Amino acid sequence: MTAGRLGPARYRAGYRAGYRAGYRAGRTSPAWIAAFCLPALVLYGVFVVVPLVTALYYGLFRWEGIRRGEFAGLGNYLEVLTRYPLNQEIPAALWHNVLFFAGTMAIQNTVGLGLAVLLYRNPRGKRFLQTIFSLPYLISPLIVGYVWSLLLSPTFGPINFLLRAAGLESWARPWLGAPDTALPVLVLVNAWQWIGGPMLIFLAALGGIPRELEEAAAMDGASPFRAFWSVRFPLLMPAVGVITVLTFIGCFNLFDLVYALGGSDGGPGGAMDVLGLLYYRTAFEGGTNAIGESSALAIMIFILVFGASAVLERFLRRREVTS
Amino acid sequence: MTTRRRGVRVLVVHALLWSYAAVAFGPLLLVAIGSFRTNADILRQPVGLPESLTLDNYLRAWETASISTYFANSLLVTVGAVALCVAVSATAAYALSRWRFRGRALLAAFFLSGLMIPAKLGLLPVFYMYLSMGLIDTRPGLMLLYAASGVPFSIFVIMGFMRGLPTGLEEAARLDGANEGRLFVSIALPLMRPALAVVTVFQFAPTWNDFFYPLVLLRSDAKYTVPVGLTRFFGEFATDRATLFAGLVIALVPLALVFALATKQIIAGLTAGMSR
Amino acid sequence: MFRTRRGLLAAAGVLAMALSACAPSAPEGQTSSGTTSEQVTLDVWGWRQEDVAAYEKIFKIYEDAHPGVKVKYVPYKADEYDTILRTGLSDANGPDVAQLRSYGLLQPLVAAKSLVPLDGQVQELAGFPEPVLDGARGERDKRVYGVPFAIQTLHVIYDKALFGKHGLTPPKTWDEMIAAFDKLAAADLVPLATTVTDTWMLPIQQEIFGATTYGGHDYLGRMLAGQAKFTDRPWVDSLTRWKSTSKYWPEQYEGVSYVDAQALFTSGRAAMFPGGVWELAVFGKSNPELELGIFNVPPPPGAAATQTLVPGYVDGSFGVSAKSPDQKAAMDLVRWMASPEFGQAFSTELRQISAVPGVRPQDPLLAQALAAYQADPSPYVTYAYFSGGSPTAWDLASEAFSTFVAGRSGAEDAAEHIQQGVDQWFRPTQ
Repeated sequence: MTAGRLGPARYRAGYRAGYRAGYRAGRTSPAWIAAFCLPALVLYGVFVVVPLVTALYYGLFRWEGIRRGEFAGLGNYLEVLTRYPLNQEIPAALWHNVLFFAGTMAIQNTVGLGLAVLLYRNPRGKRFLQTIFSLPYLISPLIVGYVWSLLLSPTFGPINFLLRAAGLESWARPWLGAPDTALPVLVLVNAWQWIGGPMLIFLAALGGIPRELEEAAAMDGASPFRAFWSVRFPLLMPAVGVITVLTFIGCFNLFDLVYALGGSDGGPGGAMDVLGLLYYRTAFEGGTNAIGESSALAIMIFILVFGASAVLERFLRRREVTS
Repeated sequence: MTTRRRGVRVLVVHALLWSYAAVAFGPLLLVAIGSFRTNADILRQPVGLPESLTLDNYLRAWETASISTYFANSLLVTVGAVALCVAVSATAAYALSRWRFRGRALLAAFFLSGLMIPAKLGLLPVFYMYLSMGLIDTRPGLMLLYAASGVPFSIFVIMGFMRGLPTGLEEAARLDGANEGRLFVSIALPLMRPALAVVTVFQFAPTWNDFFYPLVLLRSDAKYTVPVGLTRFFGEFATDRATLFAGLVIALVPLALVFALATKQIIAGLTAGMSR
Repeated sequence: MFRTRRGLLAAAGVLAMALSACAPSAPEGQTSSGTTSEQVTLDVWGWRQEDVAAYEKIFKIYEDAHPGVKVKYVPYKADEYDTILRTGLSDANGPDVAQLRSYGLLQPLVAAKSLVPLDGQVQELAGFPEPVLDGARGERDKRVYGVPFAIQTLHVIYDKALFGKHGLTPPKTWDEMIAAFDKLAAADLVPLATTVTDTWMLPIQQEIFGATTYGGHDYLGRMLAGQAKFTDRPWVDSLTRWKSTSKYWPEQYEGVSYVDAQALFTSGRAAMFPGGVWELAVFGKSNPELELGIFNVPPPPGAAATQTLVPGYVDGSFGVSAKSPDQKAAMDLVRWMASPEFGQAFSTELRQISAVPGVRPQDPLLAQALAAYQADPSPYVTYAYFSGGSPTAWDLASEAFSTFVAGRSGAEDAAEHIQQGVDQWFRPTQ
């Protein structure tokens, strides 16, 4: 490897030198800093940050279709927060996002961990199974939603057909049409698609834990379950942190799958309505002032998500330090 | 522990694993089998085997949807976006984790805060910006957007990886008089390869599968990516499930093959990326 | 060396310009806006992907009569069309002529000044009846922005073979209809193929089964004048009346999608499909052996109307983009779209009712539908009349009806939902 070519002595000397000189402020010339940071900064600034700032600006005006009208101040914000039925749809959608996040953490990520543990212990067929489990990840969420809505159809869907064939007549439900099954189905379908992600991350993390640790625990007479829980699981915390953050981001970006499963209304009774969908409806199915209202909504969602993830991040970081 | 008990345990574990494999693969299998049946047959009997092996559905799907064009577009946009994103993120993450300069912490926070932004909320402004820049209905426009929205995540992953990497090698090279650019290319880049692999994998599929941006930003059929192209196909064959299924299979197989072949590399990258 | 490099760069620049000049994204029409002798290509955007072939045939007639003009129909997926059009109309690379939705959905385009007003420009519009033009009018300035192309009427579509097999004929009274439903249900058929998950179909079903109960145009007139509300008895009763047919809907109807409902009907598992006339073409295509008939729901006992009513509305219109580089050519095309020649071709090729006055559909079922509508018209209240503000009655109704149908709320609650939403912006005409 590269380290070999330099020789261990040199390496150590360099390491010490680096450590001592440490953070030699000002050593790197501004030109290098600019050359390294500017491309990313420009790309990210122009295509992500500028549009959001623009949305903030858009939200301060009334709009006539795509023509900017008079200055409205916080008028659009007020409109979005007070107009019936938007004033009820926003909290409902937010609540569905929260439930979706909780459900995904509980189902997708625990099952993912379980599969990783099982696979890790049994290398036989591991690669094949890994591929099978992660296959749905390759499919566009839109198509996943579309296929599942066909599978779940009460009249022509194979799922109810199989349930009936197995004599479980009462289990055959109008899945996506009933408000109490729609959201759980959404969580399950989403988990079906993404389970490969947490599974692979956990598998990788498990691979990094020295085997001796658990063997030592087994020698002490601890049951395999206890050994896992008290020895391995704490070491998996960094992976748990990464997965939590990824799940959180995914949860608030949720759109395609719900759109395909329940249309832009979020299914009958809005049982699957989430913030992403609500934004889409206000922006693209709204009335004359759609740009103003949807921009105001976008900024509010942004503040909410940003605040929540800052808190989550801090919480996770503290956990990581203490464990 | 006796071997018999061990044997039972292995059996249970395998039963669990294979039953989940059925859950994961079952729906895809239904689609695959359905693509060989006739539509009337599927409506009559949702689960069942094809009466005769017919490729009619595939012919119809292939003729109607220009899937090969969609594929080329998706490939171009995705590869371009991921490559650009990884390139700019790697340099920035390296600078942010290795050099100390004024405003470093602020810059890092600025990039990482992007992790928490639901980027789609900026779609409307992006649209008007693109309109004035002439980027509507162009593949590079789409590519830039995907590359940009992947920057925060990529920097997050690479920085995390670099933090755990000793700086000895770089300092040694620096003592030898290598300049920063050289240092990055010949020392840092090879070291951060696992992190780059993780980033590539996690950016690739979502970019490939995105439907929202191309839906609004593309106009002409000849530039459609696979997901948008398929929604059009769905619209046309809403009532003909057999053809629909055939179209899905055509769209999925190449990607699945690539994935199956690359699993080893992906796992290796992930393992390296996580195991420190 | 330096010089050759510059030379190369210059050559590359010229090449790039040449390439971009013939890039496919630039509409061919744009380059030729000055001279008339050159080829003009008009892009017509629309939401009917299934109609591309038919439009090709229709526009061929125009192209033959107007050498030098090419007309191309560019369809988008119906669900996303409004978004795409709204943004597409804002630049010259968008459409020259666009298929426009009617009533409330048209307003954002009008407000953005994306469309050219047609009154004064298209003389033929004078021959169109006022209610038809209402579908293409700007809410505020009352000008007409499109040439209406189709009238959609709502019916119960039935399978003639299944009706014949069970000795049934289209019912003359409500009780006769219910008896027919019972007979079909007893024969293990789904009497009515309905959907719930595609909520946009719910207000349509409500009109089909409830129009006579609240009384159609008479009641609408009072609503617009502020003398009647959604929450008043007749309208609330129309919801209850509609839902009273739910025992004849498919099993677990809450989960049945639009496509499922269509498939139930075309595969012969359901005898009837309550929906718009546009379904006739769809059904004919997916099962050519199907023999179709239509009827409208007779008034139930105690209904406000004593005769059978036929709900209908203007589906959409063709308008001219204000940003079109070939506005003159686009205007000529739209003028032709108001002529009987276009109307006839449209009606024949697409199996739809043309909005052009005096055009008789050749298809006997369409002719029957049009005649019935002209005899006893009824409005599509939530879609056509309470759609000029946000939230629209149609959005509110789609939401409210899905909870109502699923048994999660009563008819009064559903009506209250619509009324409360509309009250925020609707002002009665004095």
